[in-house]
Formats: sequence, structure tokens, C-alpha cells
Amino acid sequence: MSLSRTSSLARLAGGVALAAITAAGAAQAEGTVTIGRTSDADRYDPQRSSALAAAEVLYMMGDTLVTLSHDLKTVEPALAESWELSDDGLTYTFHLRKDVTYCDGKAFTAKDVVGSMERWLTPEGPYVSAWKAGTVDSITAPDDYTVVYKLKSPSSGLLYQMAQFNFIIIDPEQAASLGDDFGVKAFNGTGAYCFDSWTPNDSLVLKKHEGYAWGTAALGNTGPAKVDEVVWKIIPEEATLVASLQAGEIDGTYALPAWAFAQFEADPGFKLIQPVASFRTHYVGMKVTRPFMQDIKVREAVSHAIDQGAIADAIFFGTVKPAEAYYSEDALDFDPSTDLAPFAYDPDKTKALLEEEGFTMGSDGFWQKDGEKLALTYYGFNTSREQAEAIQGDLRKAGIDLNVELYDSTAIWAKLREQTYDLYQMDYPYLNAGDALNLYFSSDSIPSPNRMMWDDAETDKLLAEGNSAVNDEARAKAFMALGKHLHESILWKPLLLEKPTVAIGPRLKEFQPAGISGAAFGTGLNLELN
Amino acid sequence: MIARLLRRAGISLIVLAGVLLIGFLMLQVIPADPAVAIAGPQGTDDEIEAIRRHLGLDQPILLQFVWYISRVVTGDMGQSVINNASVSAELLRAAGPTIELMCAAMIWAVPTALALGILAALRRGGIVDRLVMAVSVMGVSVPVFWVGLLMIQFAARTRAFPIQGRGGPLWTAEGLSHILLPATALGLILVGPVARMTRTTLSDALHADHVRTARAKGASELRVVLNHALRTALLPIITLVGLQVGTLMGGAVVTETIFSWPGVGRLAVGSIITGDYPMAQGAIIFLASAFILVNITVDVLNELADPRIGSRS
Repeated sequence: MSLSRTSSLARLAGGVALAAITAAGAAQAEGTVTIGRTSDADRYDPQRSSALAAAEVLYMMGDTLVTLSHDLKTVEPALAESWELSDDGLTYTFHLRKDVTYCDGKAFTAKDVVGSMERWLTPEGPYVSAWKAGTVDSITAPDDYTVVYKLKSPSSGLLYQMAQFNFIIIDPEQAASLGDDFGVKAFNGTGAYCFDSWTPNDSLVLKKHEGYAWGTAALGNTGPAKVDEVVWKIIPEEATLVASLQAGEIDGTYALPAWAFAQFEADPGFKLIQPVASFRTHYVGMKVTRPFMQDIKVREAVSHAIDQGAIADAIFFGTVKPAEAYYSEDALDFDPSTDLAPFAYDPDKTKALLEEEGFTMGSDGFWQKDGEKLALTYYGFNTSREQAEAIQGDLRKAGIDLNVELYDSTAIWAKLREQTYDLYQMDYPYLNAGDALNLYFSSDSIPSPNRMMWDDAETDKLLAEGNSAVNDEARAKAFMALGKHLHESILWKPLLLEKPTVAIGPRLKEFQPAGISGAAFGTGLNLELN
Repeated sequence: MIARLLRRAGISLIVLAGVLLIGFLMLQVIPADPAVAIAGPQGTDDEIEAIRRHLGLDQPILLQFVWYISRVVTGDMGQSVINNASVSAELLRAAGPTIELMCAAMIWAVPTALALGILAALRRGGIVDRLVMAVSVMGVSVPVFWVGLLMIQFAARTRAFPIQGRGGPLWTAEGLSHILLPATALGLILVGPVARMTRTTLSDALHADHVRTARAKGASELRVVLNHALRTALLPIITLVGLQVGTLMGGAVVTETIFSWPGVGRLAVGSIITGDYPMAQGAIIFLASAFILVNITVDVLNELADPRIGSRS
């Protein structure tokens, strides 16, 4: 789209005077990067929000003690420049950087880490995701730059979890004084950008943190930020978001709808970039306590009937990859020897398996056994209607009747606690195999988030072994064995593997998107204007 | 007239109380649970319980409603359960942009519709009439989101107008350029019905006795149409425009979402989706009050246009 062409069209469209007005109106301020997204967070408090929309801004406003390399496999220093783990795997000692200051100028010390963690772990407090912190015995600060983090039982995943945004160190004094307004009216952090203002559901403005110099070297720029201001703008309508990027009103977004990828790919002014590793898997879960689903052969038959490749191509326009495992094969502790054959699309196998199990084809075109039709109930999100339709179509072709019930994201979590469905569809983010396995398969998590009702002693044993492992080899061994065992049990049908794609416009230089928690813009240290 | 206005205001209060109750009950029916939403997909039962307690959602629904009403009566709309923002402050912040958008839509749409209607009435049966009617039928039947999206496509290609957001107050160049697209899209809702109504009532009025008399007295055509005919035709038009303000508010919810306009409509949609009861209630009360206010204004205007209405009752 050439400049002369657009300006002449503008004159045609709106008249010379109007074009003169709007030429000034559409242009963005020097040094400002505007990022578009479709929804806002409830609040910007890392301990009270579970939203991606909160995470992505909080990573710019605050730091964690440790972070992860681009491939999410190595723990890298951040606010802690080094750390040690005791031999029993219970005591972590973090040595903090001494040059860190908050946005308000206050020096960062070990007391702030202790204060942050104490607030988060307050029993009965309105805080979220505290399980990520492990079974904490005590967190103390022997001096200003040392934090001793003691656990009651070893947690091999703790350092990885500590890279998550919930571990962002806040200013405990500010949190205490602001109460419910913390993360709404103000947020004092140690991040590369400082909170300037927030108008909920409209925009959030961040200003560069002058003097920031403690970024993680392995992730690029260590600071200070190369742009003066970052504006996070809410544009609820996808089509408007796409148009805003085209028109240069925003510089980047990760919320591009799948149908718009092709047009930006074709336009040399725009680039689509992805993190090295960032994991989100879409899957269909199977409730093993339901009549038909108790039978592993029926579960395998269902799995073979669904064509995930077609879903990836037709619904996501090939912007996501079809998945054949519960979690990415690139994730830490995935065992490459895991048998993934049960998850391939193969309707002939469905037929063979059902016949083997004594099903007969009824005159209505559906399989039946002992006079009962093979009819299943499926719960899904109303935002994934097309996926549900595709799955329903695939299963119908294979002779399995599917009753689809779709719910709004605000209502589905309560529905998913019911025992009245056989299949459910959702997607989830994770850092590595251990993270994924811990979330869903433990018998302690019945009925939610272990919605499969998978109650298995072997699983619990291997999970405990993996979690309490004090070295990488032991952890990898246990989690690999567990992953293999769970894949053999056929509890999910993996559908898609999604990586966030960031679309950037001509003002922004290409950068390496971040992978943790799906917050692709990361700390914002690598944002740079042309 | 003052007494009648007071009586209207009294009735309006009852209506508002009804809106409040129905709004509250409807929000209870919606399965959205803010505590579950805050805790996220991986939230544990204990966490959800703790959040619910913190937000006061563990109390019986009836008690919650009584508390809410007792606060609203004292003028305190409460705080958002999602981000603790004061509901009144958020409403005030959002009301400006919404009123601005509706006014901007009406400023161009009402005169345009009147002009089109007058033109059609004068050339009744002619090609101009057919054209105007075709356009207004289109205006009535084309949904506002579709027009909005078309405009956005056009603007994205030509870069002639800003696509999203509010640029500032209406009187600044920035503010004016930002409101152009949303106000055009929203105003289109109004043009069709008003143009049609103007055409019908005006062509009736043009055949009335007093208009013939005016013509016979040698009044100019302009004077006849604007002063004699249009004046009598104005009454149903005013009523219609008043009613259309309701439609306009509904359209504003859509328009605000499409053009990322930070108004009450988006506030209402956002808070209903997240289960933010106090904020949603506040937005509903605001929209209902605005509707009532417009209706009272229409009555007053009708009385001014035709003093007989006042003396009759």
C-alpha cells in the first residue's frame, strides 16, 4: 500500500480539509508502541488474577526471581542472580541483585520478596494459583539480598513455576495500603516499564522505567527499554482489530483471528513472528467413569474417528499444528518413545475396534451394543463452535452419535463439574510435561480439573516421584514414564498445538516473542521502533 | 405543566424500581460467576470459596439485593466486584462518550432524514420519492454492525479516518475525526424511520385545509411547507425520534463495541459478561434513566409544538 495512493484516496474520500485533520489524528506519538488486544484483565495484581490479559502487562511492569530461556528448558537468572538447592531438595537459597529499584525509586530487597510471598500465601485470602508455590514451610530473609525458600516436600517443578507471572515481585507496602485498589489504581514494580494509567476496557499506558538494567541477558536487551511508552489498547471486535493494524493505528497484536493471517503474510509491510517455544494444546477429554467411556477400546475408537488435521486446516487455516500428544513433543520431559498411534486419524480402526468390542451397526447408521446406541454427550465452549461441529461430523461419519452442548466461558466451568457428559473440549497452556501432568491427572484433582475422573494409583505414584525428584534425571525419568503411561491409557484425544503468533506493523522492528504463559510481548525490553 | 412533570417523575421512579428488580433477577439467572472467572480454569474449590467470601457473594441472594437497594437509595452505586472501581465514577466516565456519540449521530441524521422526507413528500410518487424510500428501507433493514464493518474496511484501505477509540472532546480536530465513522454508522439507524414518517405525515399535511388556505393567501412555497405543513406534521416525528433514541441506545452498544468507543454500552456488555453485578446494574439503571428522561423530554416538546395537548389533560 503506497503512501501516495492512500493520501490521494483520502482526499477523494473526505476532502482536503478532512484529510489534513485525520492525517494528524491517525499518526501515533513518537516513541510510543500501541499493542491491540480484544479483552482486558480484571485487575493487574499477579496474585489476584489468572488472566493472560493480566500476565502480559505484568511481565512488563514487574520481574520474577528467575525466568526461562526461549526454549523454556533452562532456568535463567532475573531478580535472583544465583541460587542453590539443598541436597534434600527442600531449601532454595536465592541471592538477589543489589542494583534493582522500584519505579518509585525505592530499593528492592529480600524483604520485598518475603512480603510478596506472604501476601500471596495468606490462608483464606482472595488469591489465586497459590499451589504453584509448592508446599511452603517458610520464606525468610537472613539479610537484604538473600532469600531462603523452604518447602515441606520437594518440588522439582518449582523453579520453572517461579517464572510464571504470579511470582512477579510486588511492592508489599503498596499492596497493603491500596487494598482492593492495588493493581487497579497503581502498581509499583521493578519491571522495564512503569504503570502510568489504566482505563478498564479501554487502554493501559506504561512508561519506560528509566535506569532499568537488570533484564535477563539470555533473553536479549538487559535494559533500559528502547521505547518510551507502551499503550495496551482494547479493541473488542476482531475485524476492527485487523483493520486497526492495517491502518497503522496499532503496531502489533497477538490476538489476530486465524482468517486474517493470510492477508498479513502477503503484505510486505507486516510480519508474523512466533516464540521459539510456547505451549498450548487443544484436546478432547474423555470421562472414564461414563458407561461407554470405561472401555479403553471405545476411547481409542473415538480417538481414531476425529480428524485433527482437517480441523487445523479448515478452521484455523493451517495457523496451528495438529497434535498427536497431550503436550508438545518439544516440551521438557516429553519421552520421544511414547506410542502416539492411538491418536492418529484412522476411521477404519474405529470400525475394527468397535466390532471387536461387540458393537453392531444399527439401521440408523450408528453403532449399538446390547440394544443401546453409541451416543455420547460433549461439552464445549461456545467460542469453539466450529471445532465442535467438525468433531460431531467426524464421529457421525464413523457411526457415533454426538450430542453437543456449548456454553459461555463464564458458565462452562460449573457445567464441567457435572457427571453428565462423556467428552469435553478445551485448551490449556503449560511450561513442560511436569506442569501439564500435575494439572490434570492426579486423583486429588477429581472432579476438577481432573474431569476425566482418572483415579489411578500408578499415576499418583509416578507424579509424586517426579515432583519430589531432587535432580533433573530423576524428574525426567518419572515424568517420562508417567507421560507414557497416560498416553497408553487414552484419556484425551489431542487436537491442536497452538503457538501465539504476533503480527507486527511497519513501525516495529522484528523481535523474538516470549513463550512463558503465552505472554508473547514478554518484558517489552525487545520492542524497538524503526 | 409542572404538576404533570412531577407526576411523570413519580411514575418514572416506580419504573426504575421495576428495572432495578428485573435487572437484578436477570443477572442472577445468568450463570456467570465472577469468583470462578477470577480464579481461572485451574482455580481450586478453596480458592473460589475464598474469593467469593471476599466479594460478599457467599451471602444469600435476597440479602445481597436488600443491601444493594439500601445503598442505591442513598446514592451509592457500590464498587465493581471485578476491579473495585466505583460504579458511579465509571458510569460518569462512560456516559460522556455515549451521549457525545448519540448526539453526533442525531445531529446529522435527524436533519438529513427530515430533508429527505420533505423532498419525498413534495415529489410524491416521483423518482426522487422512490429513491428516498428505497434508501430509507435499506437504512431500516441493514444492521448497524454490518455498516460499521464496511466502513472500517473502507477506512483501513484509505486511511481516511481513524478506526477505533475516542480521540478527545468533540470540539477538537482529533475528537471530531474519531467520531465520524461511529456517528455515521449509528445515525443510519435513524434516517430510515424518520424520513418515512416525515414523508407520510407531511404529505397528509400538505393536503390539509389550512395549507390550502396558506397557499391561497399567496404564501411562498418554502413558507407553506416549513411553517404551515411541517409544523403540524412535526408531532408524530418528534414522538418517533424520541422512541428511536431507545433503538439508538441499543445500536450504541453495538457501535461502541465495533469502534472501541469507551461508552456505557461497552461497560454494560463487559460487566454482564464478567458477572460484575454492581457495574451491570449501574449501567442498566443509567440506560433506563436515560430512556425515561428522553420520553419526558418528548412529552414536553410535543406540548410546546402543540399547546392543545397540555390544555386537554
